[in-house]
Amino acid sequence: MTKTQTMYVERFSVFQRFIHLLIIISFLTLAVTGMALKFAMEGWAAQIAELAGGFAVLGALHRFCAVITFFYFFLTMILLYTSWKESGKSLLGFVFDPEGLVPNLTDLKEMIGTFRWFFGGKRPYYGHWIYWEKFDFMAVFWGIAVIGSSGLALWFPEQFSRHFPGYFLNIATIIHSDEALLAAGFIFTIHFYNTHLRPEKFPLDPVIFVGKISLDELKHERPREYDQMVAAGELEKNLSRRAPTAWLQRMATVFGIFVVTTGSLLVVAIIVTMFKYIQAGH
Amino acid sequence: MRHKDTLLSRAGTSFCLLLMAAVWMPGIAFGLTNDDCLGCHGDSTMTTQKDGKTISLFVDENTFKETVHAANGCVSCHVEAEVAGDEHPFPMTPVDCAGCHDAIGDTYGKSAHGLAKGKGDALAPSCQDCHSKHDILKPSNPRATTYPLNIPYTCGRCHQEGSSMTTTHELNKHNITKNYSMSVHGKGLFESGLIVTAVCSSCHTAHDVQKASVPTSSVNRDNIIQTCNQCHVGIVDKFKTSVHSPLVTKTNKKLPVCIDCHTDHSVSQVHDKDFRLIIAKQCGNCHEHQSETYLETYHGRASMLKGGERTAKCSDCHGSHNIMPSQDPASTINAANIVKTCSACHPKANQSFTTYLTHATHQDKEHYPYLFYTFWAMTGLLVGTFSFFGLHTLLWVPRSIIERLKAINKGQ
Repeated sequence: MTKTQTMYVERFSVFQRFIHLLIIISFLTLAVTGMALKFAMEGWAAQIAELAGGFAVLGALHRFCAVITFFYFFLTMILLYTSWKESGKSLLGFVFDPEGLVPNLTDLKEMIGTFRWFFGGKRPYYGHWIYWEKFDFMAVFWGIAVIGSSGLALWFPEQFSRHFPGYFLNIATIIHSDEALLAAGFIFTIHFYNTHLRPEKFPLDPVIFVGKISLDELKHERPREYDQMVAAGELEKNLSRRAPTAWLQRMATVFGIFVVTTGSLLVVAIIVTMFKYIQAGH
Repeated sequence: MRHKDTLLSRAGTSFCLLLMAAVWMPGIAFGLTNDDCLGCHGDSTMTTQKDGKTISLFVDENTFKETVHAANGCVSCHVEAEVAGDEHPFPMTPVDCAGCHDAIGDTYGKSAHGLAKGKGDALAPSCQDCHSKHDILKPSNPRATTYPLNIPYTCGRCHQEGSSMTTTHELNKHNITKNYSMSVHGKGLFESGLIVTAVCSSCHTAHDVQKASVPTSSVNRDNIIQTCNQCHVGIVDKFKTSVHSPLVTKTNKKLPVCIDCHTDHSVSQVHDKDFRLIIAKQCGNCHEHQSETYLETYHGRASMLKGGERTAKCSDCHGSHNIMPSQDPASTINAANIVKTCSACHPKANQSFTTYLTHATHQDKEHYPYLFYTFWAMTGLLVGTFSFFGLHTLLWVPRSIIERLKAINKGQ
């Protein structure tokens, strides 16, 4: 291995990347079309509706992307199921795997360590999943359950009201709309910053699109994962000399920056609008 | 120079005529015929100067012969000329139409136009400003200034925004001719050629034009229903039984009349996008709370976006001219009828579905505690989440910059 030869490790499989791509497309569309309705009295919302061709088109896009959302939720279940089968662990063993996606005590310690690091302490000994990544993943589950169920009620109000009082639809509207505000606000600020916009990564961390991360980056970012690989003797097995193709990298940059920009613009519009309302005393 | 020439030739003619009269008709009263007048005024080049402007004094005999006054002699209006005999004074005093049209003259004198004229308003119209001078035709004649198709132009000469009248007078209404042209009445007239449609005078009357604030005005709030009823027969009967009628609702508050919902000059067809998009606003002028809370719901939100005319508006659920209180069995929102009302858009609507709160707001704790607490629980969740992660991010920024700088230095 010469010094100039960069080595790569696969972080995300093609299937995982595909799921994330579905999430991006559906989530961004859901957020734009939904916020246009939530903030319909604002000029920017009217422009979105105008561009789309009317609120009915926004509604159709929103429902189509809801279907994609349920679809990727299903794909994620398959992904988790196959990962569980491959791991050879018991179900509880898989769910509460210390290196798995469910938050545990180590995450709490790392979170405290992270705050120390912000103030000059040592960078925590991060592993394959860091707590803010776990939060993103779990939030999607929580979000789909809450937004998805309230959204279905609003999609089929007549059927829903056969089993529940009609005014539950009013409650569903508030929950759907505010949970969506939380989700969109979170993804377009916190997730974007944690993953892409923070100075260490700015403007984009393409790993979710290209799948591979350089060995140096892994060693620096996730020392525990690196050490675990070395200890297990799996490092050589996972290493690859092949960098992601230039085409893939270029696509990742263009697409990623487009998405991050669109999401950021939407969140700026929302924040400006919210401040306007708070000032007006609503 | 022309005037001088004319005077000279007129003097010549007069002299000859006088001579002839003296020789052939001693003792017979002198009478001017139209031919006498046209001797001078039949010359199409005859002009005079007034206030620095050149004014034609030509009267086209052929045109005049087709007018309603064809049988009248010039001197029946220009009385002064007859009295004066051949050489009438210049300038002449204006023609007084009320000499014959006395009833109309009285009405005009009490109208907004007549009163303004009386006060010396130079821009106030007199008969000729609307009817023309020597070209007065029956209103049924398409060339008449009072033909329905021409009335908006006749009135518009003064009432069009930007005219010297509109810029010098304080007016309550603006862009009236433009709004009228875009209205259902204006489109009916200009696009569909419906001369039975309402033109200015249909609502404002022709000679009794009064400001809306005058109690006897045809467009006064108390009279407007009758004015609209001239064409919109039958609607008044429905309206009389509705909550908006003073016969049903005894209140000191202002009850609506036609124009409060339909607007005046810009009145549009009720199925038109333009009208459907202003319904909530129009009703909201009185029902402010209901309108605001409606706008918070899906129906209201979607109505603000392109294509929003399709969502339910006030009148889709409450009706329009026949609005009844919800307790009334005839009301569209009475428990007995509400499922049918919702079914117009939601074919599978059921009784439970109709308990959806169409005017709900989470700001009203007393009436909608569920919504109030849901909203504040959600807001708490949002504020909590964003506070924690916002702080996390803010503290991370300086650290992240340091890390980036370290990486750059290492690279060098």
